[in-house]
Parts: sequence; structure tokens; C-alpha cells
Amino acid sequence: MPLTQKNIKNNNLLLDIHDLNVFFNTPEGISHVVKDVNFNIKKGTCLGVVGESGSGKTQTFFSITGLLANNGYAEGEAFFKNTNLITCSNEERRGFLGKSIGFIFQDPMTSLTPHLKIGDQLAEIAIYHKKINKKKALERAIEVMDIVKLPSNRDIINSYPHELSGGMKQRIMIAISLMCEPDLIIADEPTTALDVTTQAEILNIFNDLKNNLNIGLVLISHNIGVIAETSNEVLVMKDGEILENGETSKVLTKPENKYTQHLLSCIPPWIGN
Amino acid sequence: MIKFITKRILIAIPTLLIIVAFSFFMMRIAPGGPFTNERALPPEIENNIKAAYNLDKPVYEQFYIYIKNLTKGDFGPSFKYKDFSVKELILNGLPVSVTLGLSSIIISLFIGSLLGIIAAINRNTIFDYSVMGVSLLGICVPSFVMAPLLSLFFSLYLGILPTSGWNNGNIMNLILPITALSLPQIAVISRMMRASTIEILNSNFIRTAKSKGLNSSYIIRKHVIRASILPIIEYLAPASAGLMTGSIIIEQIFGLPGIGRYFVVGALQRDYTLVSGVLILYASLLIFLILITDIIRAILDPRVKI
Amino acid sequence: MNKNNVKIVEDYANIKGRSLWVDARRRLFKNKAAVVSLILLFFIAFLSFFGPFFLKFSFSDTDWNSIYYPPNLNNGHFLGTDGNGRDLLVRILYGGRLSLSIGVLATLVSVFIGVIYGTIAGFFGGKLDVFMMRVVEILYAMPYLIFVIILMVVFGRNIYFLFIAIGAVEWLTMARIVRGQTISLKEKEFIETSKALGQSNFMIIWKHIIPNLAGPIIVYITLMVPSVIILESFLSFLGLGVQEPLTSWGVLISEGSREMETAWWLLIFPGLFMTITLASLNFIGDGLRDAIDPKEY
Repeated sequence: MPLTQKNIKNNNLLLDIHDLNVFFNTPEGISHVVKDVNFNIKKGTCLGVVGESGSGKTQTFFSITGLLANNGYAEGEAFFKNTNLITCSNEERRGFLGKSIGFIFQDPMTSLTPHLKIGDQLAEIAIYHKKINKKKALERAIEVMDIVKLPSNRDIINSYPHELSGGMKQRIMIAISLMCEPDLIIADEPTTALDVTTQAEILNIFNDLKNNLNIGLVLISHNIGVIAETSNEVLVMKDGEILENGETSKVLTKPENKYTQHLLSCIPPWIGN
Repeated sequence: MIKFITKRILIAIPTLLIIVAFSFFMMRIAPGGPFTNERALPPEIENNIKAAYNLDKPVYEQFYIYIKNLTKGDFGPSFKYKDFSVKELILNGLPVSVTLGLSSIIISLFIGSLLGIIAAINRNTIFDYSVMGVSLLGICVPSFVMAPLLSLFFSLYLGILPTSGWNNGNIMNLILPITALSLPQIAVISRMMRASTIEILNSNFIRTAKSKGLNSSYIIRKHVIRASILPIIEYLAPASAGLMTGSIIIEQIFGLPGIGRYFVVGALQRDYTLVSGVLILYASLLIFLILITDIIRAILDPRVKI
Repeated sequence: MNKNNVKIVEDYANIKGRSLWVDARRRLFKNKAAVVSLILLFFIAFLSFFGPFFLKFSFSDTDWNSIYYPPNLNNGHFLGTDGNGRDLLVRILYGGRLSLSIGVLATLVSVFIGVIYGTIAGFFGGKLDVFMMRVVEILYAMPYLIFVIILMVVFGRNIYFLFIAIGAVEWLTMARIVRGQTISLKEKEFIETSKALGQSNFMIIWKHIIPNLAGPIIVYITLMVPSVIILESFLSFLGLGVQEPLTSWGVLISEGSREMETAWWLLIFPGLFMTITLASLNFIGDGLRDAIDPKEY
């Protein structure tokens, strides 16, 4: 029980991950995509996870939230509120998902159910987890839409996903994750599919969330610029392993690992410091 | 919505006209048909046909009269059944064929979709494999093999169901024909539904729904079914066409006095007016079904503009 | 060019040699259901075309001393005889010859029409495409079997006409698939290149579009042959297809279903041959589709 004890000592610790491994069964054999990963996430901080595609950064967080593809499985420990999310039952994990852990996906264009109204997609999560009626849930929906700075809320609630732009859909995704006041939000490449101006607006929202709500935020990205702008801590991953882990300012100014140095050298010089 | 429907109907009219024209001119070029001279017909039929088609008038006028009669539901006199018009024969067979067709389509849609969804959810389990195996059998064993086999087993061997006959629509007489008619459609629909449900289950928006912590039965009901049923709705018209042709065989095998039976007899005896009447009836029914399909799709999928 | 470079080029050529088709074949032969089906299908086809030479009965020999013999391994009537004392096995094999030939020939007719129609509509696009696809849509609305029956009624029950009639209604789906593929191919760079090089439209279609359609066409053929076989049997079952003394599986099943009370084998064996053939073709079609278009992995 060393981990729980640690949790009691350190109230700030939200998610504590030990020796996490993720595997996939493929026709060519078992593929080992996340290898003995250790890290933790504290309240009120933003953890940036960088790495090229295929580095296992997304699969790490899919395994914690039970979203791995059917042929994937995970081993190890991921403690969240005294529960190991890797070994707990699906029902237990579902109790946290949406309620205490929000997930935002890469592609807002396809991540909303096409035949349901935006209002329903926002409300259902609160109706389900908080057992409130639809009217109250819709009121809450309008609240969170304010947080993500969506205009003319009533109209949007009655529209279908295909009637909104990509940036608006991504705000809706963020709004969905905020509906039940979560402790942890995981955003997987939330700005990759968006154009540059929308990207900046979405990142601003994340900055606001981090500053105003006392939550843990995970920002997965292949774009070091995005990470540098938002996160206080950074995790550099390659081939399923963590190469470097520490405060963003330290890692990005004095990278110890060669790969991190290489990544940083890829940033054009005119982008920030 | 009304605009959408009228537009669809306006598109359907030329389609129907082409089919009518096809059957009209087919009759005209047919050897031994009602419009050729080298035939030996009873005088009363010959007179009927002459009266019905105004053979003394030019072709385009004959065609016009033919269409005008059709709009009144008049398909002309039967070529072989002396005392009946085609309309009377069709109305005679309609109750049988409608009972058969309607119950088969409802049963195959319901059972097929249900099996497909359950198989997709329980993918790669015994249930999935057995449903898919049986449905493969349903596709590969044609109805004209399946129907006699069913009747061999349930009527002759077990003796619990009658082999044939209409018997005023007695439910016992209907079980075998409806089963034989539905099985191939159930097979196709369950495979389709399985494939489309699996596709939806792997889609990004279902991942979002899972990340909300919703339980799976809720996700299936709210997020999956309405999206995965769309291909089945599209299949409604082809399925009905399949049932129409299937019923021709099934009515034959089980000795049911439906439209299909008249159609076969008409085809074998070269009863052109009867055969083209059935063609026009079935084609209009299919066009109507396509219209219904479009409307249902517009209701289920908000992305479809109406 | 030094020796080393020559070797590199040769290696490259060898790698290229493992083309899409080699890969597809490797994947197909990994698929057990497809391999078993291929063997079964070849076996049935081989038996149908060459088997009758090795049997002592002919398909029309009537023998009034051996009416309704049940299947028997000793008297040479392995699958029994029918009400005219004709050997069922020989008749099934002859029927198979006919059913398989009609299946293949009618499919070729429909592929021919469908490919030409689809490439023209897809390649030239615009109003022509809209018009041509509208025609396809209208024809789709026809209950096509009834259509075939009418063609058979009007033009007489001639076996050659049978596969033209079937081919004439089965080309619609082919045309749709080919059109879709053509449209997506048309946008590809290599077509642009050919256009820039001044090749005629006909040459582009013939040299670049049609060869690239081979995959979907082959898959579709394997899935169309069984539906044509069913269609022919369907017509024969109703007495509108093949006429006596010729026979097809549909005719045999039709006869068998009328006599199943006295002689079950007359229904079961033709039905079994037909079902195995249809199932094999379906498995091969599925296997080919997965092999040529390995989207799953």
C-alpha cells in the first residue's frame, strides 16, 4: 500500500502511474507500445506530453481511461482517488469517466454523435452522473458553454454537430468534459485538427481552466510550441518510453536527453522563447 | 417537408412513365402479342382488346389512352382469362401477397437488425459466429431449396404444419411461407446490420460517448442504433424487391393464390396484359418505397437536407 | 554504373516485383475458408465438365427398370435415380455444367456492359454522368427479376437469350462501382500526368483506368456469379429457364421439390451441390475482397 500512503501524504497528487505497460495483439504478434512508464499529475498543474506519432503518448492515456482498442490491454498501476484504474472493474472506471475525468479528443469533426442535438450531448453526461433532470442539466450546459466562450447559447443547444465549425465543436468537446466539474482533464491533441487562429483561442481556454479551476490538466501534443505555452510540467516520450520528465521551463531550456534537444532544434527560431 | 415530398414525387413520375412505356412497347413488339395479327384469339377477347387499345388509332394516341386508363387503375382485359380484367385478377391476389410481403418485411427487419446488433456487440463470440454462420446458410440456400426443405421437415416429417394452401389466411398456413420468404432477408439484413454497427462502434463519437462514462446499453440505444440502422433503411427498397420476387416462388411452392402465382401463370401462357400489369404495379410500389426510404432517412439523419 | 549500384537497382526491382497482386495472393492463401472453397469449387467444376465421361449413364438415358432408386453405391446409381430412371449424379453434373456456364457467361456480359458504362460516366462526368446515373437509378427501381421474366416471355425461352437477359439486368451495380472508382482514380496524379503528356481519353481509360479497376471487378465477379446462378435456377424453377431435356440445378431442384415425398434425394443432392457452390463462391469473394483491399489491419 505504499501508493495510497503517498496519496494521503501528498494531497495534491491526482493521478499516480507506476510501471504502466500497454500491449496490442496484432496478426504479427504482440506489440509493446508503452513500456514501464512512471509519472504523476498534481492538482492545479498542466502536464504536457510530447512525442512524435506512435510514441505511445495517446495509448498511455487511453489505457487509463479504458478506451484502448479491442485488441489492446494494459498492465501496471494508475492510482486515481485510491483506485487503480488499470485493474478496477469497468463499472468503477465508468464512475470516474466523464464525472471526475474528462477526455477531449483530437478530431472534433467526428467526435460528436451526428444525429443528436448539441444540448442532448452536453446534458446526458450530467443527467447520467449527477442524476439531475434534463432542465437542470441544460442550465448547467449553458454555464459551461459560457466558460468555453461560446456565443448565443440557446441556438447552439438546438443545433446538430454538422451545423457547427471545427473550432465550435472542439469548444463543445471541452464543455462536455467540464459538465460534471472534473478533477482531471485529458486533452489529446486538442488543437491539431484546427486552424492556427482557432488553435490560439482553444489554448487560451485551456490556460483559463488551469488558472481558474483547481484541476489537473494533461495536454498531449506533438507540437512543442503548444506545450511550452500551456504546461508547467512536461513529459517527453519516444517509442513507448519516457525520455525526460520535469518542469517545462527546465526541460525546454536545458534538455538533458538528446532526443529532446533534437525536438527543440526542430522549432523554427522565430517562435517564442 | 412537403416541398421535399412533392419534389420526390415529381422525380418519380418520369421513372414510372418510362416503365409504363417499356411495358407498352414490349407488348407491341412481342411475337404473338395482343397487337400482332398472326394470332388465334377468341373473338370476345379480340374485341375487348381492340376496344381497350383503340387499335385503329395512331400509336401515340394508343399509348396516351393506355396511360389514361392506367391512372384510373384500368390495366386492360386479361389476355388468357376470358372473363376477367387484369385489375380484377390483381385485386384477387393482392390480399394474399400483401399479407405475405408485409409480415415478411416486418419480421426480417426486426429479427435481422436485432441479430446483427447483438452479433456486433458480442463480436467474435460464439453467438456472433453462430449468427453469421446461419446467416451465410440463409444466403447460400436459395428460397426455392429452403421452402421445400421446410415443408419436408415440418409438414411431412413432423406433421405439425400444413404443406400448402391459403385457407383464408389461417396463421398455421402462413408460418412456413413467411419463414421461407423471410430467411434470406434476415440473413442479409443481419450481416449488414452487424457490419454497420461494428463500424459505428469503432467510430470517434462512440469513443466520446465511452469517455463520458455512460453504460453500454445507454450508448447502444442513444448513440449507436440510429446511426447504424441507416444502411438498413436504404436497403428497404431492395429488400422489398427481393421479397416480391421471392413471393413469386413461395406462392408457387405453397400453392397460395397471390399476385405472384398469377404472374407465373401469365408468363407461361404469354398473357401480356397481365404480366405488364404486375410489372407496373410492382414498379410503382418500389418507387413509393424509395420515397418512404428517403423520408425516413431524412428524419433519422439530420445531415440529410430536405 | 558500378556493380554496387547495379545490385541496388536489381534489389529495388525485386522489391517492386512483390506487387499488390503477389501480396493479395499471399493473403488469400492464408484465408483457410477461401482456400477450402477454391478447392471445392474447382472440384465441382471439374466433376461437372469431365465427370460425365467416366460414368456409365448418360443424362437422358431412361431406364424403366430403375425408377426412383435410392442412392446406392453398388448398382452405379451413386445418388439414386429419378421417376424416369435417369441417373441423378449424371444429371446433377450436366446441370452443373449449365448453371456454372450461365453464371460465368452472364456475369461476363454484365461486367462488360457495366465497366464500359461506369468508366464513361465516371471519366467524363458532368451532365453526361448525371444523366447516365439517373438511368441506372431508374432501372434500379425495376423489380429486375420480373423484368427478366418479361424479356423471356417476349423473346421466347432460348438458353442464349437467357444469359443476355440476365446480363442485361445485372450490370447496374457493376456500373456504379466502376463509376465511383473511376472518379477517384481520375483525380490521381498519374492520370494528370498522362493528360499532360497528351494521351487521348480512350488511351487513358484503356491503359490506366481499367487496369486499376481490376481489383474491385474481380471481387465483384465472384460475388455476382452466385447471384446469376440463383437467378437462372429461379427462372428454371418456374419453368421459364432451361427446357427439357437440358437440365440445370434449378430444374433439378424444381423436379425434386415436386417429388420429395417419394424420393427425397432428388431434392437434397441438387440442393447440396448448388449450396456448396454458392457458399464457396461467397467465401472466395469475401477472401478476395479482404486480400485485395486489406483495410482491416
